[in-house]
Amino acid sequence: MKLTVDQRWDLVDRISKKTVTVGAYKATLKNALADVTVRPQTGIPFAIAVLYGFWTFFGEFAGLFTDGFFVRIFGTHWIPWIGEKLAGLPDWAFTILVGDRAVFAEGFPGDPCFAAGGVLTTGLFMPFGIVLWAVLALFLVLAVMEDTGYLPRLAVLLDTVMHKIGLHGFAIVPTLVSLGCNVPGVTAARALETRKQRFMIIALLGVFVPCGAQIGMMEELVPHLIGWVFLTLAIGYLGFGWVLNKIWPGESPEILMDVPPYRAPQWSNVWRKTWMRTRHFLFVAVPFVLLGCAIVMVLYATGAMDAIAGGLEGFLATVFGVPASATPSLVVGFLRKDLAIGLLPIEAMTTYQVFKSVILLSIYFPCLATFALLLRELNWKEILATLGFLVVTIFVFGGVLNLIGMAGGW
Amino acid sequence: MNKVLLMGQSNVGKSVLFNCLSGGGATVSNYPGTTVDFDKGRMAIDGKIVEIIDVPGTFSLQPKDKAEEVALKMLEGEKDAVVLCVIDSSKIERGLYLALELIEKGCPVIIALNMADVAKDANIRINAEKLEDLLGVPVVTTVATMGEGLKKLVERMKETRSVKIEGIMKSVGGG
Repeated sequence: MKLTVDQRWDLVDRISKKTVTVGAYKATLKNALADVTVRPQTGIPFAIAVLYGFWTFFGEFAGLFTDGFFVRIFGTHWIPWIGEKLAGLPDWAFTILVGDRAVFAEGFPGDPCFAAGGVLTTGLFMPFGIVLWAVLALFLVLAVMEDTGYLPRLAVLLDTVMHKIGLHGFAIVPTLVSLGCNVPGVTAARALETRKQRFMIIALLGVFVPCGAQIGMMEELVPHLIGWVFLTLAIGYLGFGWVLNKIWPGESPEILMDVPPYRAPQWSNVWRKTWMRTRHFLFVAVPFVLLGCAIVMVLYATGAMDAIAGGLEGFLATVFGVPASATPSLVVGFLRKDLAIGLLPIEAMTTYQVFKSVILLSIYFPCLATFALLLRELNWKEILATLGFLVVTIFVFGGVLNLIGMAGGW
Repeated sequence: MNKVLLMGQSNVGKSVLFNCLSGGGATVSNYPGTTVDFDKGRMAIDGKIVEIIDVPGTFSLQPKDKAEEVALKMLEGEKDAVVLCVIDSSKIERGLYLALELIEKGCPVIIALNMADVAKDANIRINAEKLEDLLGVPVVTTVATMGEGLKKLVERMKETRSVKIEGIMKSVGGG
């Protein structure tokens, strides 16, 4: 026999009447905190404080390891040492593994960690010296936010804003998770109800949300610009979300979401989750960084890079106002965006050009791992739409930034 | 019995339970909808190895998002599996709704009244023996995050059985 919905609820009611007794509500610290953090008057300042704390922890943690430790290890010990040890290699092998001989001969103008460029020098420094610590810090903070139950409260607070662009407040969960890595972010989008919402959030994540690896590189290389970068990306996320909502057919209904009670995080779980995601970075991302370094060095050594840069020069300069020397960075942007930021010729560009390039790299093609996931999560129509969206975004956003720069005379 | 499906609404602790029982590495968070795909693991019941599957949370058996579709597909695809229905003790009514749906479908069911600590904080007391009498399937109180009640849960897994909804209606009686 199958009951109707009403009959079933009625039966549930009768069962619980016989088995459940509810005592008086007692106000606990958890309840009080739960109230304070979802009421807009108190919740918004609280959210700002949490995100500020998040950011400070991230900066300090990553900075401690990168600047305090790995810059010195690599810069003064490892890179000169490996350069000397492998000096006997043929030119092509030395170029790929260690870097440009000319740079070594000059005694490293600038920072040896970046100037070297080879697989065993810069290729190892970027993932292990910088990005690993950044993603570790982000994964750790995100795991704590996930496990305490704060994320769904943030979703409640931001619900009104998100509805303006046709998304439910829950979309903030995949968005924040993506700040660690876009891969789990895209997966988390499955909890959204309609195809439209899922498509929108995946497209917006892929384009506008930089991952932990990128953020780590930005924090190391352009810390003075990072606030502007985030602001610009947030404007893009909301603006393009608004447009997508208008033009993409489908519904964005209200959904009800459970806000779970606060829980003290279980540290074993926090560590495990952080470790699992970090391991994913080590095994999936690091090989691509090394491969990317090798490709760039091969392109340099064979002179192909000059040809590509020459071909793109006019285009890059006209549309985006970015010099041709940024080309290598854009080439490896397809593989890894963190590596791409590391290859930007920062000294050779104006501040505004650096800013534009960092934005361009962020909204650029999603990294390979994310793209592979898009292929699985979306249907072909949505994939084409995402790619179209990408191209339009790059040109419109990049072009507008260029125009603003021209108007401002930067 | 060679397969156990862990089913329940979202954020009731299925993945925590799964990790405890199988030693697996399902991602656990405190928000609804963390598990969007299933995870498989193994556990021993009475010395026999059985497969245990962590199914995405589903409010009812009428799916409303992609993760819930996955859940329903798992249930329909694993005809010979028993269902470990996980209920958040602090929100027992909605958990019972899903449990009844599973029972009506004819699935062999065992119920874990999980998050008993949260219910206790909220001053909610549940008479588990009485509930077991009424439903006719094993009911075990657990706090998966602390490991409480898990041994008993595993011991009683073999008592899992399918019951008729008519029988439940009869033992519950009129309003």
